[in-house]
Amino acid sequence: MAAADLRAELDSLVLQLLWDLEELESKRAALNARVEEGWLSLSKARYAMGAKSVGPLQYASCMEPQVCVCTNEAQNGLQKFRVVRSGSQIPEEVGPCEAALRRRKGLTRIPEPEPFSASPNPLNWFGILVPHSLRQAQASFQEGLQLAVDMASLQIQINWGQSQLRGLQEKLKQLGLGAA
Amino acid sequence: MAGRGKLIAVIGDEDTVTGFLLGGIGELNKNRHPNFLVVEKDTTVNEIEDTFRQFLNRDDIGIILINQYIAEMVRHALDAHQRSIPAVLEIPSKEHPYDAAKDSILRRAKGMFTAEDLR
Repeated sequence: MAAADLRAELDSLVLQLLWDLEELESKRAALNARVEEGWLSLSKARYAMGAKSVGPLQYASCMEPQVCVCTNEAQNGLQKFRVVRSGSQIPEEVGPCEAALRRRKGLTRIPEPEPFSASPNPLNWFGILVPHSLRQAQASFQEGLQLAVDMASLQIQINWGQSQLRGLQEKLKQLGLGAA
Repeated sequence: MAGRGKLIAVIGDEDTVTGFLLGGIGELNKNRHPNFLVVEKDTTVNEIEDTFRQFLNRDDIGIILINQYIAEMVRHALDAHQRSIPAVLEIPSKEHPYDAAKDSILRRAKGMFTAEDLR
């Protein structure tokens, strides 16, 4: 009976793995398409701005990431990635900070809260007015990043599934040897 | 840094790195090493491997994107990486389309079953 339960568990695990692999391949095809679109747009931008105008020479000497990933742990202990974008603004508070009479003379300046330091747009490295193709390239690669993050989560899931599969296969072998 | 999550690193040709940096993943300041490497004609395999290993050992990097033709140069280092984080994703390059047969993840998946398992 234990062997039958193990086989059922093995079957559902294999099905889940195959589904994950199919999902991974479909996301990979989409990522490859986005990246190819991005390269084409970069080439168009180079055509418009000059061959050496879009490349490492234009990279900023100081960069802050606009996109990061956070890991969430699921119930089974699996890590899952989630995209986090910077530049989210804190709503500005309008109105007096303190309930106090304002003085006309010698008004004490209330220090303004520091603005949230949003990372500058990498498009700015290439100039003030950039061609539309460069914006399109940025959009394609941003979509590609979301797909890459999803693929990374799927890869972790597939690796976990493979280790579970090996464990179950081992248990089944031992049961088979024990019965013999 | 702890509050904003992990970085996405990229090792690739000029177009791949420029594209993903445009996407907003780049980090570079005087105190920290960059999270990207542009592989050019004169970039040595040792440099690529050193950078790849540095990215693997950094605890602030969650995902490493690498062109597949560059991954082939450091395949032994990729295959030796068994941890789930950082996740390593192989992507195509302009001159080298993606080949599923070379992908480390898919090669491991291909070896999941033996003929005996399917009896």
